[in-house]
Amino acid sequence: MIEAKEINFAYRRGIPVLNDINCKIEDGEFVALIGHNGSGKTTLSRMFMALDHPRSGQILVDGEDIINYEPADLADKVGYVFQNPDLQILADTVYEEIAYGPRVKKLPEENIKTNVKSAIAAMGLKGLEGIYPRNLSFGQKRRLGVAAALALNPRILILDEITNGQDAVEQAAMMEYLKALNEEKGTTVILITHDMNVVRKYARRAIVLTDGHLVFDGKPQELFQGDQPVERWGLRRPVVSVLASRLGLSAANCEEFCEAVRKGGEA
Amino acid sequence: MKLNAFTWIIVTLAVTAWVFILPVEAVATILVLQLVLLLYIKRSKTMLAAIGGLGVFTGMMILLQLLFGSSLRVSLFGGLRMLVMTLAFLCMLATTRIQSIAKALVDRFHLPVEYAFMLTTALRFVPNFLEDSEITLDAQSCRGYSNRGNVLKRLLSYVVVIRPLVMRAVSKSETLALSMELRGFGANTYKNMPKEQLTVVDFAVLAVVVVLSTYPFWKKFLFV
Repeated sequence: MIEAKEINFAYRRGIPVLNDINCKIEDGEFVALIGHNGSGKTTLSRMFMALDHPRSGQILVDGEDIINYEPADLADKVGYVFQNPDLQILADTVYEEIAYGPRVKKLPEENIKTNVKSAIAAMGLKGLEGIYPRNLSFGQKRRLGVAAALALNPRILILDEITNGQDAVEQAAMMEYLKALNEEKGTTVILITHDMNVVRKYARRAIVLTDGHLVFDGKPQELFQGDQPVERWGLRRPVVSVLASRLGLSAANCEEFCEAVRKGGEA
Repeated sequence: MKLNAFTWIIVTLAVTAWVFILPVEAVATILVLQLVLLLYIKRSKTMLAAIGGLGVFTGMMILLQLLFGSSLRVSLFGGLRMLVMTLAFLCMLATTRIQSIAKALVDRFHLPVEYAFMLTTALRFVPNFLEDSEITLDAQSCRGYSNRGNVLKRLLSYVVVIRPLVMRAVSKSETLALSMELRGFGANTYKNMPKEQLTVVDFAVLAVVVVLSTYPFWKKFLFV
């Protein structure tokens, strides 16, 4: 469980980035952290991993204040996957790359093997264990980044704009792996994204930040279906929601849209 | 009042020579002038941190020299020399655009375009490299890397940050080389930019450079 209590933060120049942020993410949730560029979503997520610390307020991980923690102290509780996988690849094989975290944490060799195998299976990298990581495709490298974080068995996974720059197939594959991880293992997923279709399809909760303020915290359906000023917050509704509203219908996803169209036809 | 890039290069080269030929008082005066100039140009935390960092490095140099048996005077003067030489480059970079430096190297010093470009590109890579190193450090920290322990242990463990950075830098330079080649690099580079003319101030500064650089000669003849 991660909780942000009255978080305020500003970088060195003094311009506030986060203002009085309060939110609580329970175990097993699939949360999308969304907002326009510079809204503060990455800053907030970095605080969840102790990469930055708030000027005032508290970040609690499993009820414990992490103000004096370093990211390495949290690595086996929270996994953080950065946007650019190239900046963390250091080993000569996929297997060794994933095994780096458990080795640093000095886990027994047996556990390392089990963790790496499980991470490889979870991210669909089977058969690529002996490959030089830089020879992988961009999508595979992204999955390798997630697998590397998973090798420490974190219960919370934070992914920073993980779907950017991926083709539709790779993106769908990645999201399905994350969905399975969330549903089968109960891993909490916190996804930072600009892709509203991904939010609509996979997230069960959306937290919207704009100019450092938390302006919405609820179900994605409520965000896209209701009267929320989504565009004013710098977001774009998913295509299906826009299409539905143009037809005078109300739908947040394809299923609801089909249902609404069917009902309209019958009427 | 802005000095030409050519003048700055000459001054920078001259300062590196002056620290060896001028008396210690003069070198100390140059240091004061450099600090005043740098703080006048940009009195920011970054600038202060850069100067402070150089100060610490100088202190380490002095300490090392002392440890290896040099006298205090020699060690201090050695540290002062190093600091003044480094600050000369910092002054040039803080006051002159990199493109102007490249242009001056090609136009006035007749350096081949490729070499001038290589020099300036290396300088341009520094901020990118620093930015990447921060991200890499964060990424590895999230996987359990911790910069704790004694100095040797910390240095050795830093390999996990250095390695991805080097690979990234190599890949970036390959991409840059390819994109430059595709855009016809070398065919007409820098030739379309107008030549930057020297002003009266430039000539005045160059005259001072000549006077100070010939100090050993006129000292010998004037003060006999």
